[in-house]
Amino acid sequence: MLVRNGLLVASAALMLVTLYMVFLWVPTELNLGVSQRIFYFHVPLGWLGMLSIIVVAIASIVHLINGSQWWDDLAYTTAEIGVIFASLILVTGVIWARGDLGWWWTWDAKLTTTLVLWFIYVGYLMVRAYAPKGSQTARFASVIALFGAIDAPIIYMATEWWSSAHPELNIGPVASDSDEIGSGKIYLTLLVAVLTFTVFYAHLLVERFHLRRTESALDSLHRTFANRL
Amino acid sequence: MRPIITALSAVIIALAAPALAAADTLAQQPRGESELPWLFAVYAITWAAFFGYIFFMSRRQREMQREIDALQRALQAKDADME
Repeated sequence: MLVRNGLLVASAALMLVTLYMVFLWVPTELNLGVSQRIFYFHVPLGWLGMLSIIVVAIASIVHLINGSQWWDDLAYTTAEIGVIFASLILVTGVIWARGDLGWWWTWDAKLTTTLVLWFIYVGYLMVRAYAPKGSQTARFASVIALFGAIDAPIIYMATEWWSSAHPELNIGPVASDSDEIGSGKIYLTLLVAVLTFTVFYAHLLVERFHLRRTESALDSLHRTFANRL
Repeated sequence: MRPIITALSAVIIALAAPALAAADTLAQQPRGESELPWLFAVYAITWAAFFGYIFFMSRRQREMQREIDALQRALQAKDADME
């Protein structure tokens, strides 16, 4: 309970700091204008959307190896939160593109591979929702999660491997030039925004995982009760 | 998944549609303040999605509590019958 409350308080406090920095502290980027402030939401959402599918894949592999319900619950929970983040990556991206470049969508490598990730998440959750309950369903879904984990690095590297309308990589291990991101204030605001959303994501994950564990316990209680009748 | 999708879609449409419509009109104006509605749309949609999800979780929590209470009542009734 201490961890759950701590994450809630920390994410709320950090979010206030982030909003102050995004709207009042950081200067407007000269070339991109006001719409560049979308960047401070879009990039953290992108990072967490990709992180989620990797967590889903790792939890799925462990579940495939040891059959543990705990790991399967973690995979399901992370996928559910991941689909929200992946949806928000796409929505914030298309709105930014429309405001800045004048178009909603283009079949660019980065955008297309991100859309593929979204379909993988939806596929995973559809298998979980509509396949008959049991361990076989978790196995099928685990295989889908593994495909998703392959897609995550492809999304990250898409602008390096193919020509793209999306800006070049300037964050992460293979970023060509992190100075291109702009002034120190812009970089610091981005770091704080990433930290804030990561803490908020952890809060959502812990809350949903707790709920999922209760759902699993309730399911088994229902089965026990049915057997007694 | 159906309740969460319905709730999220309703909130997102309610908040984002006016902003997007205004943004499309203002996009013809010079760069600068004309971009504000796009910024507003992004923030509104993001927060709507998060609040919608938290609403879904709290509703699911209440539903489960009701189910647990019902099961406990059924078990008590069954035990009483056996006595």
